[in-house]
Amino acid sequence: MNLFLYLEGRTWLHRLDPRTKLLGTLILFVLCLCFNHPLYLLLIALAIGTLALSAKAFLNFWRLRWLLLLLMAFSTLLWPFFVRGSTAILAWGPLHLSQESIAYGVAMGLRLASFVSIGLVLLSTTRNEELTHGLIRMGLPHPVAFAFATALRLIPTFAGAGATIVQAQMARGLDLEEGNLLRRIGKFIPQAVPLFLYAIRHTNFLAMALESRGFSPGAARTFYHELRMRWIDYGAIVFLLVLLGGALYLRLGQGWGVILPGRL
Amino acid sequence: MEPIISFDRLSFTYRGGERPALRQICGQIDRGAVVAVMGHAGAGKSTLCYTLNGLVPRFFRGAYEGSVLVKGEEVARRKVAEMARHVGLVLQDFEAQLFSTNVELEMAFGPENLCLARPEIDRRIRQYLSWVGLEKLRHREPASLSGGQKQRLAIGAILAMEPEVVVMDEPTTDLDPKGRQEILEIAKRLGQSGKTLLIVDTEPETAEQADELWLIKEGRILSKGKPRQLLTDVTLLKACGVSIPPLVELFSLMGWPGNPLSPEEALSWIDKHGLIRRPFPKRPREKPRPPCPPILEVEGLRYVYPFHQTEALRGVHLSIHEGECVALLGQNGSGKTTLAKHFNGLLKPTSGSVLLRGKPTSDYSHREMARHVGFVFQNPDHQIFANTVYDEVAFGLRMLGEDTKTTARYVEEALATVGLAGYEGRSPFALSKGERQRVAVASVLAARPEILVLDEPTTGLDQAQQRSMMAMLKALHRQGHTIIVITHSMRMAEELADRTVVLKDGTVLLDGQTRAVFAEEERLAEASLRPSSIVRLSNRLGTEALTVEQMVEELKA
Repeated sequence: MNLFLYLEGRTWLHRLDPRTKLLGTLILFVLCLCFNHPLYLLLIALAIGTLALSAKAFLNFWRLRWLLLLLMAFSTLLWPFFVRGSTAILAWGPLHLSQESIAYGVAMGLRLASFVSIGLVLLSTTRNEELTHGLIRMGLPHPVAFAFATALRLIPTFAGAGATIVQAQMARGLDLEEGNLLRRIGKFIPQAVPLFLYAIRHTNFLAMALESRGFSPGAARTFYHELRMRWIDYGAIVFLLVLLGGALYLRLGQGWGVILPGRL
Repeated sequence: MEPIISFDRLSFTYRGGERPALRQICGQIDRGAVVAVMGHAGAGKSTLCYTLNGLVPRFFRGAYEGSVLVKGEEVARRKVAEMARHVGLVLQDFEAQLFSTNVELEMAFGPENLCLARPEIDRRIRQYLSWVGLEKLRHREPASLSGGQKQRLAIGAILAMEPEVVVMDEPTTDLDPKGRQEILEIAKRLGQSGKTLLIVDTEPETAEQADELWLIKEGRILSKGKPRQLLTDVTLLKACGVSIPPLVELFSLMGWPGNPLSPEEALSWIDKHGLIRRPFPKRPREKPRPPCPPILEVEGLRYVYPFHQTEALRGVHLSIHEGECVALLGQNGSGKTTLAKHFNGLLKPTSGSVLLRGKPTSDYSHREMARHVGFVFQNPDHQIFANTVYDEVAFGLRMLGEDTKTTARYVEEALATVGLAGYEGRSPFALSKGERQRVAVASVLAARPEILVLDEPTTGLDQAQQRSMMAMLKALHRQGHTIIVITHSMRMAEELADRTVVLKDGTVLLDGQTRAVFAEEERLAEASLRPSSIVRLSNRLGTEALTVEQMVEELKA
């Protein structure tokens, strides 16, 4: 089963150096934190959407559409109850809703979706090996970079095994949609135990396979894909840094893009 | 010639293991030799492989005595990663040993670890991809390859490190016949190219090509010698729990001269000695029993996996009748498992319908379904979680809300049926693979389903375990269960099923009485399948037999 996020392609985003993409991801994350006004965040979200389009990464967005919608919906619905704005719509005991708090909720929903989308664009256009290599070249110790990349690599594998385990137990009469909370928690065990054991066995086997292919963490090795920063990489980084600088100036210097002051 | 590998009184016991996995192994392998190793499950074959690149004792700890020398150096003193330069190990599980995002990077991984420069890595990728015949798939994702291609890639990735010794641990066990053929072809060429090769396998076909065969039993080398000699020694093979080449068995049971391994050889022996009159008089084919009413009806079933939009089933029509024993055959990725998961509603049709006793499977709840259709998954470890065998088997019944007394009775019966009576208090995790597979069957059987679906129930089982699994399924069939077995083992279909359905690319290619289906060798080849040697001989002779026993009976009649 294909559960990996990387999408084969030759778009300009695919061809960027992984270091550029990692740095760019970081800058975009910070950019999302600059404003809390829904319109500003909508603008950022649309920009990321355009980026995804130009990376031909829409298949992944379609695959994860429920996750994205859920994140947005939850955030939009829950945030308004936890922050206070000045223009009250409803005040009923401890419950308090205001125009600003609702707008803030929408903004947070957009921010969360943007975070996920940025990550998705990165993973759709960057191979696991490129990420590892990029992280190492950015100064991360070898074992840490490999652990990170391997963890990413194993998520889809474990998700696949988890799905099989749930099916195997359902075929024996396990009904997940029935019973009270306590009973439902009890039903967790028949799924968790096999998955946990599978994870241990699988990682153990993977370690065996890696060592048998001459891998030892921390040892020097070469990389088949050589990383090269081209002018477009520097251009992209400079562009993003200017963008971030501008955004910080607007927010901190001018106080723009704020619906609830004093909040991130 | 100087030996490249030599074992000297090597013994090893895994930490926490009760018995030694290897005992007093002695032996030498000459440079450029091809050695095949056979033995029952748990005989120590994998352990033997692991001692060659140092996984034993560096990765798997335990009590290690004696020594293994590769090129005169003691393996146990070296790191596994260092040994990888000299000894390449291909593991059985081809899914788990591939971890890169495309074929070329998978090939590059080993050379990268050897710190080779990019042009050299590139040269090796080119050279060894064409060696294993995958040069056209250089940019594909390993997950999208067929089983045989995956295993070929795993071999190519090892060869790219240019080790002098290549060790393969059951490289063909999980493959369909065509995949097997591809791997055997590569092994043969490796042998000819002058590499030293040690290959573990359960099928006699593999060993035939080797220069030398080692038979292992309970950690000891029982016999070493020319493959031809050992493979035709029925008593010795039996003692080792190794499968006897079916044609050898036939000739020995008939008291005929000759020890043929292929149907062609068998025919030439038969003709040379005039062993039987040819063409053999046709026996009227048994009339199929009038079919019982259909219990499962599949109409125009299509299924598209939602996550990656691939069409796994493209319009399947099939009906299963009460009391049938059906084998579902097809190569890896033909849609067998996807189809079977529709039988108990684990998957819902994208279009078309699946009716169980005239009612769509989606109308049954999971709990009702467990009473109608029991589904045993391929890997028992995907479902075993309880502390005792009793609790494991009782799990389904408790979920179905049976009272304690009924549960106890059903569990007892189910365990007796699978031959595990008396195992109630044991931990399922401490059982052998064959026994765990039986626990999984019992846990599904306990709910007394009318239909039993089994996905590759003999994977990872040795000869003896496979036989007893098949005997158990036959007994269940006699008791009136409808049985559907998904398998890539030809012998399982031949010995067990009265009806065989062959799937290819998500559609039904062949469907009929097993005998008739297995007569169509050319159509089977389209689905990458090939009947076992006994059936191929039977096809050439024009006999009805599908197994050695049937053949003997038919020829003597």
